[in-house]
Order: sequence, then structure tokens, then C-alpha cells
Amino acid sequence: MVCDYFFPQPGGVESHMYQLSTKLIDRGHKVIIITHAYDERTGIRYLTNGLKVYHVPFLVLYRASTFPTVFSFFPMFRNIVIREEIEIVHGHASLSSLCHEAILHARTMGLRTVFTDHSLFGFADAGSILTNKLLKFTLSDVDHVVCVSHTCKENTVLRASLDPLMVSVIPNAVVAENFRPINHPSYPLETLDKPMTQRALGPHDTITIVVISRLFYNKGTDLLVAAIPRILAAHPHVKFIIAGSGPKAIDLEQMLERNVLQDRVAMLGPIRHEEVRDVMVRGHIYLHPSLTEAFGTVLVEAASCGLYVVCTQVGGIPEVLPAHMTVFAKPEEDDLVAATGRAITKLRKNQVRTEDFHDQVKKMYSWTDVAARTERVYDGISGVLSDAEFYGYDAADAASWSATRGRAGVQSFALIDRLKRYYGCGIWAGKLFCLCAVIDYILFLLLELWAPRDQIDIARNWPKKIIQEQPAKERMSRRDG
Amino acid sequence: MLTIVPHLRTRRPSPTTIEYTVSTSPSLTFSLRILITLTILLRTLIGFSVLLLLYSRYDLAFPSTRIIIAPPFFTDERIWYTVHLILSSRFGLLALRTAPQIPVFILLPLSAAILYLLSLRIHTTESLLVLHGLGIQTSTSSATYLSSATTRFIPTAKIQDVLVNEAFKGFEVRYYLVIVVDEEEDVVVVFPRLLPRRAIVERVWRGAMGCLYAVEGENKMKV
Repeated sequence: MVCDYFFPQPGGVESHMYQLSTKLIDRGHKVIIITHAYDERTGIRYLTNGLKVYHVPFLVLYRASTFPTVFSFFPMFRNIVIREEIEIVHGHASLSSLCHEAILHARTMGLRTVFTDHSLFGFADAGSILTNKLLKFTLSDVDHVVCVSHTCKENTVLRASLDPLMVSVIPNAVVAENFRPINHPSYPLETLDKPMTQRALGPHDTITIVVISRLFYNKGTDLLVAAIPRILAAHPHVKFIIAGSGPKAIDLEQMLERNVLQDRVAMLGPIRHEEVRDVMVRGHIYLHPSLTEAFGTVLVEAASCGLYVVCTQVGGIPEVLPAHMTVFAKPEEDDLVAATGRAITKLRKNQVRTEDFHDQVKKMYSWTDVAARTERVYDGISGVLSDAEFYGYDAADAASWSATRGRAGVQSFALIDRLKRYYGCGIWAGKLFCLCAVIDYILFLLLELWAPRDQIDIARNWPKKIIQEQPAKERMSRRDG
Repeated sequence: MLTIVPHLRTRRPSPTTIEYTVSTSPSLTFSLRILITLTILLRTLIGFSVLLLLYSRYDLAFPSTRIIIAPPFFTDERIWYTVHLILSSRFGLLALRTAPQIPVFILLPLSAAILYLLSLRIHTTESLLVLHGLGIQTSTSSATYLSSATTRFIPTAKIQDVLVNEAFKGFEVRYYLVIVVDEEEDVVVVFPRLLPRRAIVERVWRGAMGCLYAVEGENKMKV
């Protein structure tokens, strides 16, 4: 797994990688995470379950992305790949330059690569065009792509002009046990110092709306700033709890001061991921005003905590939760206010059975399932599964298929085939990408001379506990006795 | 030919002591001894000629009165007489002719660099001495012949742990042996200059731990 974003920074990609890696380790794989060094996190560390994390020292450019240096990462990456005996490189997040570089180098070294896209992008503005070109470059020569939702898949296929067959959809998941409502029957009772939230809400009981998001433009904070005063004006017995930090926090605070709403809106500031649940269970409604979202793990978490979810109908959000758990709004001020109003009314009428949400979510999303599906992708690209089984096409159709498969880069590591694929990226970009690929290859040959493979120590694996065999042996000996 | 890949030598001066030495020097055979002697001679020769060149340059800039008649042997004048003899020999005349042709700003740094290179040791030797019940002594040979080896003794009471760690070093990831010392911010790296490979590091770690924390009476330790 390679990505710029990892713990200690909080976020969806980070926890996705951690949970997926943990579950893959449980399934008997060896997983290494490569990320860049954070302030206090440097060097090589082990997390629970023997998950090894390399914090490579690199310069951080913007929002925890590293400076794209294209080739300087290669010697280090090669060393790590060789010493850990890596077979598949799995990159995450399209804004992470570390991930793109790793995929390029991995292909040069002849490894299988998978890329997971976590976000949606537009096509119009300069930043998107640049990112899309970069994505096209990387994905021209990747074995398989994983997207977190079908909307995300459409978006990625269009952006990087991929063959849809080499893109799978594997959603995120949540650890349902970590997001349980207060005093749920299947868990031990917890005593909280504050009174229990009443299930049946009267017309004058206070309804608390929770908002947890990083306060950035793309998370719809501007929408939130516009909507909060109107919601509070329309519904007297409503309170807000807002958690998270970001550049837009100042706008929120100004809005609160202008309208004198400090007593009805609580700003908690940045919170840790493990505190999210404690904040969520204090509310009844979860409001998610995001402008773009590939999946929205936080929605699943909120529903799992037994919150009624109000969200904007953008990106992959409509796929996430069934209709009875959510109220959708268009991403505009008026509709968001109206939708929140509808949600409050429904809750007051007790038409929503939020206490059942937890069990339903638990059935829908689990990391074990995600890991199993990811494992199938790995099997597919490394040839354990046959093509027909993996891609689901007729073997008779193979002749017409092979052209696209060549495009998908499934079989050939040959430099000339890779160059052909890169060349198709664009008039100028294609040549530039070819140049990059050639330089990368020359660098690879130089590295083989300069730091030969047999000079690199193979790392020891984390001693794995064998849980299955021990009881079996005991049983055997008991039977013998 | 003169140096080899760092390798491990183990010595057991007593049943409760082990010394691990990691060195780049190969085992000394007769031909190797001759070769090393030859390089030392060559180094001395080069060093001597550099000094001669420097002195002749100095002599040209600030001429001093030469002592031409041989004074008695055990006097200071005798040294200056020897210098005169050397300067008026064929090599000395050559140096006196070459010295003014090289500008000073090139001559000085160049000769300093050459002299430094000549003073570098051929081999690096680092060792770890483990004394059961007493502590650990690490020693690293110095880079030049001019200074002696750095040694450090850490008593058992101060040692928190001895462990093998990995870290980024340049463009690669290396295994290394560290000693965690009580009340110290930084750990002590064993074999810091050679940083031997994993197989050696692991062997030393096992042996050191076995010797340092061996149970009393259990004298047979595996090395």
C-alpha cells in the first residue's frame, strides 16, 4: 500500500488503508504501508497486528501531499520493495504524488499494480485538468483500478479514459462496533453522566444536529454557513454541534457572531477519529452538506450511530445508504434548509426508526468483506483467477477483447508496450510521459548496477500467531491420551 | 584487494566475555603483509615529497642562512644541515624548481588534501565487548592514523535494552544494533561506521543478549 495520507493524520483514506491492511493481514497476506514522514512520525514503525509503516522522509507540499519529485523516490522505493519482497503495489488517492510515483516505479520494476481512487474530480478547471493528466499517465499502465462507488467509477473511467472492465467497485466500510448508538441491546450498557437521549421525541424536545467534517470548500462549509441561521430561525428547538477544523472555520465563527448563535451552535474544533462516535451519539440528525464526495464513510458511521442523515445528493452519496435512512437535498441553500426541515418533522412524528439503523448498517458494511473483494482483485491481476472468471467475459470473445486488454496493461511489462500505452495519452503529454518512462527505466538499470539486489537484506516478517493450529494439536494430543 | 566486505570475528577471552569485531580487513597472509608494507612505504614517500615541496616553496619565499659545514651530531643545527643536504640533492633541486611554478592558492589546499588522504586508515574496525555482569564496551577505529579509537563503556545498570532496529540511511533502509541507555536522549549505535548487514547484526544481538543476561551457573553459551 502506498499513499501520502496516513495516520497520525485523520481522514477517510487513512482509516480505509489501515482497516483494509489489518483485514488483509488477518487473511494471511503481508502488508506494508509506505507514506511520508509526519512531524513526530518518522522512520519505520509497527502498528497493531504487525502492520509495518515506512515513513519516508520527504518534503510536504500542500494538504499533506508530498512534492512531486518523480525520480528521487525510486532508489528508496526499490530498496523497500526488494527487502520486503513485494509483489503487488496498491496506491491510494489520486492527489497523492507518492502513490503515482510508486505505481510508475513498480511497473518499471515489473510488479503488479492496483490503484484505488477515493475522490471525484471535475473536468473544467486548471487544477482538475492537471490532476486528470497525471492520473491518465499513471493509469495508462496500471493493472487494475478500484473505486469506492459507482459514481466514482464513472468519473475515473472518464478522467483517465480507462477500460471499464479493469475498474472494480469496492465500497468503504465501517467498524460497526466502534459506531454504536448509546445503550444498544447487543453491547454492554454504558452509563453516561448526561441523561439518555429519549427515543420518543415530543414537539418541544430539543433536536441536535451534528456536523462532522473538515471545513474545506469541497466539504460544503459555505453551504453550511448560509443554511444554519435559516434552519435555526425556522425551528426553535434545534441545536447544532459542529466538529472539525479547516480554513473555513473562520467563516463559520463569523456567521455565529453576526447572528449571535453561540448558545445554539457548539463548535468543538478538531477531534480525533475515536472521538467521532462520542460526538455523534449526542445528536439526532447528521447533516452532510458536501459538494463532492466519492463515498462518504462518515454517513455510514452516522447511520451506524443511529442518526438520521440529511445529505446533499452529489457524487457517490446516493449509493451509500438506503432511502429510509436519509433525506436528500440538492446542493443548494434553499433545498438543504427544506430537507433539514423535513427530517426534523419526520423525527418529531416518530416516523423514522433510527434504533434499527445500527444492525442494518452492520449487515451492509464490513471490512472483512472489503478485504475479501480486494483479495479477489489481487488474485485476478496476478493470474490466480483466470481472466474469464475475473473479468467475466466469454472465452470465445477473447480475440476482440485482447486489444482492450493490451490497453489495460494486464499482460505486458515490456518497455515498448508500456511506451505505446503512454504515447496514447496526448500529443505533447504522450511524448513527455514516454520520456519519463524511459528515464525511469534507465534509472532502474543504473540502480541494478549501483545497488545490486543481493546487497539488500531481506526483512524479517512479523512473527505471526498461529491461532488455528494450536487448539487442533491440543485436541489431537488429548485424543491420543 | 586490501579491504573486503565487513565481516565478523568472535573472540572469547573468558567464559563470561565475548568480543565481536566487525572489520573490513581480510585475514593477514604473507603476500598481503608485503602489500600493506609497500603501501605504507608509498604513502610515506608521497607524504615526504609533498612536505619537501611545501618547504622549498617556503624557503624560496623567506630565504634563511644555510648551514653548510657539518655541526656535531646531537645539536639543533644538525637538523638544519640535514635539510640543506636534502634541498641540495637531486630531489631537492627538482622541488625548488617546481615549487614556484604552482600558485600558492592551489599548492596549499592540494597538499593539505593529499596529506589528509595519506593519513586515512585503510581498514575500519569496530568492536563490541560484552562482559557478563559488568557491561558493554563499544569501540570504533578512527578515520585517520592521527587519532586513536573511540571507545565507550556502558555499565549493565545503565543498559535498558539492546535491540535491532531499522532506519532510513541515504537511499536505503538498514538494520542496525542499538543500545538504549538510561537517562539519555539518544541511543548508542553499535558499529556506526560499518553498519554490517542483517545476518551479522542478528548474530551479535543474540550473542550479546545471551552473554549479558546469562543465568548464573549456565556457563555454556551458544555463540
